[in-house]
Amino acid sequence: MYGNYDPPFSIEKEGISISVEELEKRWVYKRTLGTDTVEKLIIGDGKHIIISPVEPLNTPKEITPNLLIEFEKTLLLAAGARKKIFLTFPVEIGVFISDKGNKNLQILDVLTLARKKFTLYGPVSNGIICKHWKSGIYSVSPSPNPLQEGIMELTLRNTTSEWASISKAVFSAYGMRIFYDSDVFMRAHMDILNKNTAETGFELQHISGELKSFRPKEQETRKEAIEIYNRKLDFVPVSLTFDMRLGF
Amino acid sequence: MGDLLKFVLILSFSIIISRIITLYLRRSFKDKVSKDAGETILKLFYYGTIIIVFIAILPLTGLDPSGLLLAGGITGIVLGFASQNIVGNLISGVFLMIEKPIKIGDQVEISGTSGFVTDIRIISTLIRTYDGLLVRIPNQQVFTTNITNVVGYPARRFELKFGIRYSDDADAAIFLIKDLVDKEPFALLNPDPSVFVNELGESSVDLIVRIWAPISEWAALKNKLLWAIKKTLEENGIEMPFPPQRLVYLHNVPDKNQTPEELKQNQEKEIESVLNYGERVLT
Repeated sequence: MYGNYDPPFSIEKEGISISVEELEKRWVYKRTLGTDTVEKLIIGDGKHIIISPVEPLNTPKEITPNLLIEFEKTLLLAAGARKKIFLTFPVEIGVFISDKGNKNLQILDVLTLARKKFTLYGPVSNGIICKHWKSGIYSVSPSPNPLQEGIMELTLRNTTSEWASISKAVFSAYGMRIFYDSDVFMRAHMDILNKNTAETGFELQHISGELKSFRPKEQETRKEAIEIYNRKLDFVPVSLTFDMRLGF
Repeated sequence: MGDLLKFVLILSFSIIISRIITLYLRRSFKDKVSKDAGETILKLFYYGTIIIVFIAILPLTGLDPSGLLLAGGITGIVLGFASQNIVGNLISGVFLMIEKPIKIGDQVEISGTSGFVTDIRIISTLIRTYDGLLVRIPNQQVFTTNITNVVGYPARRFELKFGIRYSDDADAAIFLIKDLVDKEPFALLNPDPSVFVNELGESSVDLIVRIWAPISEWAALKNKLLWAIKKTLEENGIEMPFPPQRLVYLHNVPDKNQTPEELKQNQEKEIESVLNYGERVLT
Protein backbone atom coordinates (compact mmCIF):
# COMPACT_ATOMS: atom_id res chain seq x y z
CA MET A 1 0.00 0.00 0.00
CA TYR A 2 2.90 2.36 0.72
CA GLY A 3 4.21 4.33 -2.23
CA ASN A 4 3.39 7.08 -4.73
CA TYR A 5 0.14 7.22 -6.66
CA ASP A 6 -1.06 9.42 -9.50
CA PRO A 7 -4.80 10.23 -9.44
CA PRO A 8 -7.19 8.77 -10.37
CA PHE A 9 -6.54 5.61 -8.38
CA SER A 10 -8.23 3.31 -5.93
CA ILE A 11 -6.67 0.78 -3.55
CA GLU A 12 -8.06 -1.59 -0.99
CA LYS A 13 -6.11 -3.57 1.57
CA GLU A 14 -6.70 -4.92 5.09
CA GLY A 15 -10.09 -3.21 5.25
CA ILE A 16 -8.62 0.15 4.23
CA SER A 17 -10.03 1.69 1.09
CA ILE A 18 -8.34 4.78 -0.38
CA SER A 19 -9.32 6.45 -3.63
CA VAL A 20 -8.84 9.75 -5.43
CA GLU A 21 -11.32 10.20 -8.24
CA GLU A 22 -12.40 13.05 -10.46
CA LEU A 23 -15.89 14.34 -9.85
CA GLU A 24 -17.26 17.44 -11.59
CA LYS A 25 -13.77 18.76 -12.43
CA ARG A 26 -12.60 18.33 -8.86
CA TRP A 27 -10.61 15.57 -7.23
CA VAL A 28 -12.27 13.78 -4.36
CA TYR A 29 -10.14 11.96 -1.80
CA LYS A 30 -12.10 9.25 -0.04
CA ARG A 31 -10.87 6.90 2.68
CA THR A 32 -12.83 4.25 4.52
CA LEU A 33 -11.72 2.15 7.48
CA GLY A 34 -14.52 0.26 9.20
CA THR A 35 -17.21 2.81 9.95
CA ASP A 36 -14.78 5.71 9.78
CA THR A 37 -14.95 7.64 6.50
CA VAL A 38 -12.99 10.72 5.42
CA GLU A 39 -13.77 12.73 2.30
CA LYS A 40 -11.81 15.74 1.06
CA LEU A 41 -11.93 17.86 -2.06
CA ILE A 42 -8.71 18.60 -3.91
CA ILE A 43 -8.49 21.52 -6.29
CA GLY A 44 -5.35 21.40 -8.42
CA ASP A 45 -3.96 19.16 -11.15
CA GLY A 46 -0.76 17.22 -11.53
CA LYS A 47 -0.61 16.21 -7.89
CA HIS A 48 0.94 13.11 -6.39
CA ILE A 49 -0.52 11.11 -3.55
CA ILE A 50 2.03 9.55 -1.24
CA ILE A 51 1.12 6.86 1.26
CA SER A 52 3.81 6.46 3.87
CA PRO A 53 4.19 5.21 7.43
CA VAL A 54 4.39 8.07 9.91
CA GLU A 55 5.21 8.43 13.60
CA PRO A 56 2.57 6.51 15.58
CA LEU A 57 1.39 9.54 17.55
CA ASN A 58 -1.23 11.21 15.39
CA THR A 59 -4.37 9.12 15.97
CA PRO A 60 -7.00 9.35 17.33
CA LYS A 61 -5.73 12.82 18.25
CA GLU A 62 -2.29 14.31 18.59
CA ILE A 63 -2.01 14.86 22.34
CA THR A 64 1.56 13.77 23.04
CA PRO A 65 4.83 13.31 21.16
CA ASN A 66 5.89 10.40 23.39
CA LEU A 67 5.62 6.68 22.69
CA LEU A 68 5.93 4.23 25.58
CA ILE A 69 6.75 0.65 24.62
CA GLU A 70 6.04 -1.74 27.45
CA PHE A 71 7.93 -5.04 27.27
CA GLU A 72 5.85 -8.20 27.64
CA LYS A 73 8.51 -9.56 30.00
CA THR A 74 10.91 -7.58 32.18
CA LEU A 75 14.43 -7.69 30.79
CA LEU A 76 17.51 -7.83 33.03
CA LEU A 77 20.68 -6.41 31.52
CA ALA A 78 24.05 -7.15 33.08
CA ALA A 79 26.37 -4.34 34.18
CA GLY A 80 28.28 -2.86 31.28
CA ALA A 81 26.41 -5.09 28.77
CA ARG A 82 25.39 -4.04 25.27
CA LYS A 83 22.65 -6.03 23.57
CA LYS A 84 20.61 -5.66 20.41
CA ILE A 85 16.96 -6.69 20.62
CA PHE A 86 13.92 -6.35 18.37
CA LEU A 87 10.59 -4.91 19.41
CA THR A 88 7.44 -4.00 17.55
CA PHE A 89 5.81 -0.57 17.43
CA PRO A 90 2.41 0.62 16.18
CA VAL A 91 2.31 1.94 12.64
CA GLU A 92 0.22 4.87 11.47
CA ILE A 93 -0.40 5.40 7.79
CA GLY A 94 -0.08 8.93 6.50
CA VAL A 95 -1.62 10.07 3.22
CA PHE A 96 0.08 13.13 1.71
CA ILE A 97 -0.48 15.23 -1.36
CA SER A 98 2.44 16.84 -3.15
CA ASP A 99 3.55 18.57 -6.31
CA LYS A 100 5.70 16.67 -8.78
CA GLY A 101 9.02 15.65 -7.25
CA ASN A 102 7.48 15.29 -3.78
CA LYS A 103 7.69 19.05 -3.25
CA ASN A 104 5.28 21.07 -1.15
CA LEU A 105 3.96 18.17 0.92
CA GLN A 106 0.61 18.51 2.64
CA ILE A 107 -0.94 15.92 4.91
CA LEU A 108 -4.38 14.68 3.86
CA ASP A 109 -5.14 11.97 6.36
CA VAL A 110 -3.68 9.67 9.02
CA LEU A 111 -5.14 6.30 9.93
CA THR A 112 -4.10 3.20 11.80
CA LEU A 113 -4.98 -0.44 12.19
CA ALA A 114 -3.04 -0.68 15.44
CA ARG A 115 -4.56 -0.45 18.90
CA LYS A 116 -4.82 3.09 20.20
CA LYS A 117 -4.23 3.53 23.91
CA PHE A 118 -2.62 6.12 26.13
CA THR A 119 -0.92 5.89 29.49
CA LEU A 120 0.78 8.08 32.05
CA TYR A 121 4.53 7.64 32.49
CA GLY A 122 5.50 8.61 36.02
CA PRO A 123 3.42 10.01 38.87
CA VAL A 124 0.28 12.09 38.39
CA SER A 125 1.97 15.27 39.60
CA ASN A 126 4.84 15.32 37.13
CA GLY A 127 4.37 12.41 34.75
CA ILE A 128 3.89 12.62 31.01
CA ILE A 129 1.14 11.29 28.80
CA CYS A 130 2.42 8.68 26.33
CA LYS A 131 0.95 6.59 23.55
CA HIS A 132 1.11 3.02 24.85
CA TRP A 133 2.23 -0.08 23.02
CA LYS A 134 2.98 -3.54 24.36
CA SER A 135 5.65 -5.52 22.58
CA GLY A 136 7.34 -8.87 22.85
CA ILE A 137 11.14 -9.00 22.98
CA TYR A 138 12.68 -10.75 19.97
CA SER A 139 16.27 -11.78 19.35
CA VAL A 140 15.70 -11.90 15.60
CA SER A 141 13.65 -9.52 13.54
CA PRO A 142 9.94 -10.47 13.65
CA SER A 143 7.67 -10.28 10.59
CA PRO A 144 4.56 -8.33 11.59
CA ASN A 145 1.93 -6.91 9.25
CA PRO A 146 3.62 -3.73 7.92
CA LEU A 147 0.30 -1.88 7.83
CA GLN A 148 -0.18 -2.49 11.53
CA GLU A 149 3.18 -2.97 13.23
CA GLY A 150 6.75 -1.96 12.59
CA ILE A 151 10.05 -3.44 13.74
CA MET A 152 12.30 -1.54 16.09
CA GLU A 153 15.90 -2.58 16.40
CA LEU A 154 16.85 -1.43 19.88
CA THR A 155 20.41 -1.39 21.13
CA LEU A 156 20.49 -1.52 24.92
CA ARG A 157 23.59 -0.29 26.71
CA ASN A 158 23.97 -0.59 30.44
CA THR A 159 26.60 1.96 31.39
CA THR A 160 26.20 1.34 35.13
CA SER A 161 28.02 -1.15 37.32
CA GLU A 162 24.78 -2.83 38.40
CA TRP A 163 22.12 -5.00 36.79
CA ALA A 164 19.39 -3.01 35.05
CA SER A 165 15.79 -4.18 35.09
CA ILE A 166 13.98 -2.83 32.02
CA SER A 167 10.25 -3.12 31.45
CA LYS A 168 9.50 -0.06 29.35
CA ALA A 169 11.12 2.45 27.04
CA VAL A 170 9.87 5.93 26.18
CA PHE A 171 10.72 7.54 22.85
CA SER A 172 10.07 11.04 21.58
CA ALA A 173 8.52 11.40 18.13
CA TYR A 174 10.92 14.25 17.44
CA GLY A 175 13.90 12.53 15.95
CA MET A 176 12.10 9.30 14.96
CA ARG A 177 13.48 7.91 11.72
CA ILE A 178 11.16 5.43 10.03
CA PHE A 179 12.08 3.40 6.94
CA TYR A 180 9.86 1.16 4.90
CA ASP A 181 9.81 -1.37 2.11
CA SER A 182 8.22 -4.75 2.68
CA ASP A 183 8.35 -3.89 6.37
CA VAL A 184 8.41 -0.74 8.50
CA PHE A 185 11.65 -0.26 10.39
CA MET A 186 13.20 1.96 13.05
CA ARG A 187 16.61 1.77 14.70
CA ALA A 188 16.87 3.13 18.23
CA HIS A 189 19.10 2.98 21.27
CA MET A 190 18.55 3.03 25.00
CA ASP A 191 21.41 3.86 27.32
CA ILE A 192 20.99 3.09 31.01
CA LEU A 193 22.75 6.01 32.69
CA ASN A 194 22.04 5.21 36.34
CA LYS A 195 19.59 3.33 38.53
CA ASN A 196 16.62 5.49 37.53
CA THR A 197 17.61 7.28 34.35
CA ALA A 198 17.91 6.12 30.78
CA GLU A 199 18.37 7.98 27.54
CA THR A 200 16.61 6.93 24.38
CA GLY A 201 17.13 8.15 20.85
CA PHE A 202 17.12 7.17 17.23
CA GLU A 203 19.89 6.36 14.85
CA LEU A 204 20.55 9.15 12.43
CA GLN A 205 19.72 9.23 8.78
CA HIS A 206 22.75 10.92 7.30
CA ILE A 207 21.63 13.57 4.91
CA SER A 208 24.85 14.93 3.52
CA GLY A 209 26.42 13.22 0.50
CA GLU A 210 29.76 12.31 2.02
CA LEU A 211 28.09 10.52 4.89
CA LYS A 212 25.83 8.40 2.68
CA SER A 213 28.48 5.67 2.52
CA PHE A 214 28.10 5.20 6.28
CA ARG A 215 24.43 4.35 5.98
CA PRO A 216 23.49 1.00 7.46
CA LYS A 217 22.50 -1.57 4.87
CA GLU A 218 18.86 -1.67 5.94
CA GLN A 219 18.52 2.05 5.37
CA GLU A 220 19.93 1.79 1.87
CA THR A 221 17.36 -0.75 0.76
CA ARG A 222 14.41 0.82 2.52
CA LYS A 223 12.88 4.18 1.68
CA GLU A 224 12.71 6.88 4.30
CA ALA A 225 9.20 7.56 5.54
CA ILE A 226 7.77 11.07 5.68
CA GLU A 227 8.05 12.36 9.22
CA ILE A 228 5.30 14.62 10.47
CA TYR A 229 6.99 15.64 13.73
CA ASN A 230 10.41 16.45 12.32
CA ARG A 231 8.74 18.60 9.66
CA LYS A 232 7.30 20.70 12.48
CA LEU A 233 10.77 21.62 13.70
CA ASP A 234 12.55 24.58 12.18
CA PHE A 235 15.71 22.53 11.82
CA VAL A 236 16.74 19.06 10.73
CA PRO A 237 17.43 17.32 14.04
CA VAL A 238 20.97 16.01 14.30
CA SER A 239 20.47 14.27 17.59
CA LEU A 240 17.41 14.24 19.80
CA THR A 241 17.26 12.13 22.91
CA PHE A 242 14.65 11.50 25.55
CA ASP A 243 15.57 11.37 29.23
CA MET A 244 13.65 8.69 31.10
CA ARG A 245 14.04 10.23 34.53
CA LEU A 246 11.02 8.48 35.97
CA GLY A 247 12.41 4.96 35.75
CA PHE A 248 12.48 2.20 33.17
CA MET B 1 32.95 70.95 32.53
CA GLY B 2 34.53 67.52 33.05
CA ASP B 3 31.79 66.51 35.52
CA LEU B 4 29.06 67.64 33.14
CA LEU B 5 30.61 65.50 30.39
CA LYS B 6 30.75 62.55 32.81
CA PHE B 7 27.08 63.15 33.64
CA VAL B 8 26.09 63.11 29.96
CA LEU B 9 28.24 60.06 29.20
CA ILE B 10 26.98 58.01 32.17
CA LEU B 11 23.38 58.91 31.41
CA SER B 12 23.79 58.03 27.72
CA PHE B 13 25.52 54.78 28.61
CA SER B 14 22.75 53.83 31.05
CA ILE B 15 20.10 54.61 28.41
CA ILE B 16 21.90 52.35 25.90
CA ILE B 17 22.35 49.55 28.46
CA SER B 18 18.68 49.82 29.56
CA ARG B 19 17.58 49.57 25.92
CA ILE B 20 19.73 46.48 25.34
CA ILE B 21 18.41 44.78 28.50
CA THR B 22 14.84 45.76 27.56
CA LEU B 23 15.29 44.18 24.12
CA TYR B 24 16.69 41.03 25.68
CA LEU B 25 13.83 40.88 28.21
CA ARG B 26 11.25 41.45 25.45
CA ARG B 27 12.56 38.36 23.66
CA SER B 28 12.61 36.37 26.92
CA PHE B 29 9.03 37.40 27.76
CA LYS B 30 7.77 36.34 24.34
CA ASP B 31 5.21 33.50 24.76
CA LYS B 32 5.78 33.57 28.54
CA VAL B 33 4.09 36.79 29.60
CA SER B 34 1.14 38.48 27.93
CA LYS B 35 2.12 41.35 25.63
CA ASP B 36 0.36 44.02 27.72
CA ALA B 37 1.88 42.90 31.01
CA GLY B 38 5.29 42.39 29.44
CA GLU B 39 5.33 45.88 27.93
CA THR B 40 4.31 47.45 31.27
CA ILE B 41 7.10 45.64 33.09
CA LEU B 42 9.61 46.66 30.42
CA LYS B 43 8.55 50.30 30.59
CA LEU B 44 8.78 50.27 34.39
CA PHE B 45 12.24 48.75 34.16
CA TYR B 46 13.46 51.12 31.44
CA TYR B 47 12.28 54.38 32.95
CA GLY B 48 12.99 53.21 36.52
CA THR B 49 16.63 52.48 35.64
CA ILE B 50 17.10 55.84 33.94
CA ILE B 51 15.51 57.74 36.86
CA ILE B 52 17.68 55.93 39.43
CA VAL B 53 20.85 56.59 37.41
CA PHE B 54 19.80 60.23 36.87
CA ILE B 55 19.33 60.82 40.60
CA ALA B 56 22.55 58.96 41.43
CA ILE B 57 24.70 61.09 39.10
CA LEU B 58 22.90 64.38 39.73
CA PRO B 59 25.65 65.61 42.15
CA LEU B 60 27.99 65.70 39.12
CA THR B 61 26.03 68.69 37.81
CA GLY B 62 26.40 70.48 41.13
CA LEU B 63 22.78 69.97 42.18
CA ASP B 64 22.01 68.38 45.54
CA PRO B 65 19.48 65.55 45.09
CA SER B 66 18.74 65.24 48.84
CA GLY B 67 16.01 67.87 48.59
CA LEU B 68 14.58 66.04 45.62
CA LEU B 69 14.71 62.76 47.50
CA LEU B 70 12.91 64.29 50.49
CA ALA B 71 10.21 65.73 48.26
CA GLY B 72 10.01 62.43 46.40
CA GLY B 73 9.75 60.53 49.66
CA ILE B 74 6.83 62.63 50.91
CA THR B 75 5.13 62.39 47.54
CA GLY B 76 5.69 58.63 47.64
CA ILE B 77 4.02 58.28 51.03
CA VAL B 78 1.02 60.37 49.92
CA LEU B 79 0.71 58.45 46.67
CA GLY B 80 1.24 55.16 48.48
CA PHE B 81 -1.74 55.77 50.77
CA ALA B 82 -3.86 56.99 47.88
CA SER B 83 -3.05 54.09 45.62
CA GLN B 84 -2.77 51.30 48.16
CA ASN B 85 -5.05 48.94 46.21
CA ILE B 86 -3.43 49.67 42.89
CA VAL B 87 0.04 49.07 44.30
CA GLY B 88 -1.22 45.90 46.01
CA ASN B 89 -2.59 44.64 42.73
CA LEU B 90 0.58 45.64 40.94
CA ILE B 91 2.85 43.79 43.38
CA SER B 92 0.51 40.77 43.34
CA GLY B 93 0.69 40.86 39.54
CA VAL B 94 4.48 40.78 39.65
CA PHE B 95 4.43 37.86 42.10
CA LEU B 96 1.87 36.05 39.94
CA MET B 97 4.26 36.34 37.01
CA ILE B 98 7.18 35.08 39.09
CA GLU B 99 5.40 32.26 40.92
CA LYS B 100 3.25 31.32 37.91
CA PRO B 101 0.44 29.43 39.69
CA ILE B 102 -1.58 29.97 36.49
CA LYS B 103 -0.69 30.47 32.85
CA ILE B 104 -2.58 31.97 29.93
CA GLY B 105 -4.85 29.24 28.54
CA ASP B 106 -5.18 27.34 31.84
CA GLN B 107 -8.60 26.29 33.05
CA VAL B 108 -8.99 27.62 36.59
CA GLU B 109 -11.42 28.35 39.37
CA ILE B 110 -10.70 31.57 41.26
CA SER B 111 -13.09 33.04 43.82
CA GLY B 112 -15.97 30.99 42.46
CA THR B 113 -15.28 31.97 38.84
CA SER B 114 -14.42 29.06 36.54
CA GLY B 115 -13.05 29.39 33.02
CA PHE B 116 -10.01 29.91 30.85
CA VAL B 117 -7.28 32.41 31.77
CA THR B 118 -7.16 34.72 28.75
CA ASP B 119 -4.67 37.27 30.08
CA ILE B 120 -2.57 38.02 33.14
CA ARG B 121 -2.11 41.76 33.26
CA ILE B 122 -0.07 43.84 35.66
CA ILE B 123 -3.14 44.87 37.70
CA SER B 124 -5.75 42.22 36.92
CA THR B 125 -6.33 38.74 35.51
CA LEU B 126 -8.92 38.11 32.81
CA ILE B 127 -11.00 34.94 32.81
CA ARG B 128 -13.31 33.77 30.05
CA THR B 129 -15.98 31.71 31.77
CA TYR B 130 -17.31 28.53 30.18
CA ASP B 131 -20.45 30.55 29.32
CA GLY B 132 -18.31 32.98 27.32
CA LEU B 133 -18.35 35.86 29.80
CA LEU B 134 -15.31 38.02 30.47
CA VAL B 135 -14.50 38.35 34.17
CA ARG B 136 -11.78 40.68 35.43
CA ILE B 137 -10.33 39.70 38.80
CA PRO B 138 -7.90 42.06 40.59
CA ASN B 139 -4.51 40.42 41.00
CA GLN B 140 -4.52 40.93 44.76
CA GLN B 141 -7.61 38.75 44.97
CA VAL B 142 -6.08 36.16 42.63
CA PHE B 143 -2.90 36.04 44.69
CA THR B 144 -4.54 35.81 48.11
CA THR B 145 -7.37 33.40 47.29
CA ASN B 146 -7.41 29.66 46.62
CA ILE B 147 -6.74 28.88 42.98
CA THR B 148 -7.87 25.56 41.53
CA ASN B 149 -5.93 24.89 38.36
CA VAL B 150 -7.92 22.25 36.50
CA VAL B 151 -5.08 21.61 34.07
CA GLY B 152 -2.23 21.76 36.59
CA TYR B 153 -1.33 18.09 36.16
CA PRO B 154 -1.20 16.04 32.95
CA ALA B 155 -4.04 13.68 33.93
CA ARG B 156 -7.11 13.72 36.13
CA ARG B 157 -9.61 11.21 37.44
CA PHE B 158 -13.36 11.23 37.03
CA GLU B 159 -16.06 9.03 38.44
CA LEU B 160 -19.26 7.52 37.02
CA LYS B 161 -21.98 5.93 39.14
CA PHE B 162 -24.46 3.31 38.00
CA GLY B 163 -27.14 1.38 39.87
CA ILE B 164 -28.23 -2.03 38.56
CA ARG B 165 -31.08 -4.30 39.67
CA TYR B 166 -30.48 -6.85 42.43
CA SER B 167 -31.52 -9.56 39.98
CA ASP B 168 -28.71 -8.57 37.53
CA ASP B 169 -25.26 -10.08 37.54
CA ALA B 170 -22.90 -7.41 38.93
CA ASP B 171 -19.81 -9.36 37.78
CA ALA B 172 -21.14 -9.33 34.21
CA ALA B 173 -21.81 -5.58 34.44
CA ILE B 174 -18.27 -4.97 35.72
CA PHE B 175 -16.83 -7.09 32.88
CA LEU B 176 -18.82 -5.15 30.26
CA ILE B 177 -17.81 -1.78 31.71
CA LYS B 178 -14.12 -2.79 31.94
CA ASP B 179 -14.24 -3.92 28.31
CA LEU B 180 -15.71 -0.58 27.22
CA VAL B 181 -13.13 1.38 29.20
CA ASP B 182 -10.33 -0.73 27.75
CA LYS B 183 -11.47 0.11 24.21
CA GLU B 184 -11.34 3.85 24.88
CA PRO B 185 -7.93 5.22 23.82
CA PHE B 186 -8.03 8.12 26.25
CA ALA B 187 -8.93 6.00 29.31
CA LEU B 188 -5.39 5.71 30.64
CA LEU B 189 -3.82 2.33 31.32
CA ASN B 190 -1.78 3.81 34.14
CA PRO B 191 -3.09 4.87 36.68
CA ASP B 192 -5.35 1.91 36.01
CA PRO B 193 -9.13 2.34 35.92
CA SER B 194 -11.27 0.68 38.58
CA VAL B 195 -14.83 -0.64 38.46
CA PHE B 196 -16.37 -2.02 41.65
CA VAL B 197 -19.56 -2.48 43.66
CA ASN B 198 -19.66 0.50 45.97
CA GLU B 199 -22.93 0.03 47.84
CA LEU B 200 -25.94 -2.24 48.20
CA GLY B 201 -28.59 0.44 47.87
CA GLU B 202 -32.28 0.53 48.69
CA SER B 203 -33.31 -0.65 45.26
CA SER B 204 -30.06 -1.12 43.33
CA VAL B 205 -26.55 -2.50 43.46
CA ASP B 206 -24.43 0.65 43.03
CA LEU B 207 -21.34 0.47 40.86
CA ILE B 208 -18.58 3.05 40.65
CA VAL B 209 -16.27 3.52 37.64
CA ARG B 210 -13.09 5.53 38.23
CA ILE B 211 -11.03 6.48 35.20
CA TRP B 212 -7.91 8.58 34.67
CA ALA B 213 -7.73 10.54 31.43
CA PRO B 214 -5.45 13.14 29.83
CA ILE B 215 -6.41 16.57 31.11
CA SER B 216 -7.49 17.75 27.65
CA GLU B 217 -9.77 14.76 27.06
CA TRP B 218 -11.46 13.89 30.34
CA ALA B 219 -14.69 15.85 29.87
CA ALA B 220 -15.43 14.43 26.41
CA LEU B 221 -14.51 10.93 27.57
CA LYS B 222 -16.77 11.21 30.62
CA ASN B 223 -19.77 12.20 28.52
CA LYS B 224 -19.06 9.51 25.94
CA LEU B 225 -18.60 6.71 28.47
CA LEU B 226 -21.64 7.65 30.56
CA TRP B 227 -24.01 7.00 27.68
CA ALA B 228 -22.00 4.13 26.17
CA ILE B 229 -22.04 2.21 29.46
CA LYS B 230 -25.78 2.78 29.93
CA LYS B 231 -26.50 1.52 26.40
CA THR B 232 -24.17 -1.47 26.65
CA LEU B 233 -25.62 -2.60 29.97
CA GLU B 234 -29.17 -2.36 28.63
CA GLU B 235 -28.22 -4.22 25.43
CA ASN B 236 -27.00 -7.04 27.65
CA GLY B 237 -30.19 -7.19 29.70
CA ILE B 238 -28.81 -5.28 32.69
CA GLU B 239 -31.13 -2.46 33.67
CA MET B 240 -30.91 0.53 35.90
CA PRO B 241 -33.96 0.54 38.22
CA PHE B 242 -35.88 3.70 38.99
CA PRO B 243 -35.72 4.83 42.60
CA PRO B 244 -38.53 3.28 44.74
CA GLN B 245 -41.83 5.15 44.63
CA ARG B 246 -44.36 4.69 47.46
CA LEU B 247 -48.01 5.35 46.67
CA VAL B 248 -50.24 6.16 49.62
CA TYR B 249 -54.04 5.99 49.19
CA LEU B 250 -56.05 7.93 51.76
CA HIS B 251 -59.57 6.72 52.33
CA ASN B 252 -62.14 6.29 55.11
CA VAL B 253 -64.12 3.13 55.64
CA PRO B 254 -67.64 4.08 54.52
CA ASP B 255 -70.45 3.92 57.06
CA LYS B 256 -72.86 1.19 56.05
CA ASN B 257 -75.83 3.48 56.92
CA GLN B 258 -74.62 6.31 54.63
CA THR B 259 -76.65 7.02 51.55
CA PRO B 260 -74.75 7.32 48.20
CA GLU B 261 -75.18 11.15 48.31
CA GLU B 262 -73.68 11.37 51.80
CA LEU B 263 -70.81 9.13 50.74
CA LYS B 264 -70.07 11.37 47.77
CA GLN B 265 -70.14 14.52 49.97
CA ASN B 266 -67.73 12.93 52.47
CA GLN B 267 -65.32 12.00 49.66
CA GLU B 268 -65.39 15.59 48.34
CA LYS B 269 -64.67 16.90 51.87
CA GLU B 270 -61.76 14.48 52.15
CA ILE B 271 -60.28 15.66 48.86
CA GLU B 272 -60.76 19.27 49.96
CA SER B 273 -58.98 18.66 53.26
CA VAL B 274 -56.06 17.04 51.41
CA LEU B 275 -55.91 20.04 49.06
CA ASN B 276 -56.01 22.43 52.03
CA TYR B 277 -53.23 20.45 53.68
CA GLY B 278 -51.22 20.85 50.50
CA GLU B 279 -51.81 24.59 50.47
CA ARG B 280 -50.85 24.93 54.12
CA VAL B 281 -47.65 23.06 53.50
CA LEU B 282 -46.92 25.20 50.48
CA THR B 283 -47.51 28.44 52.35
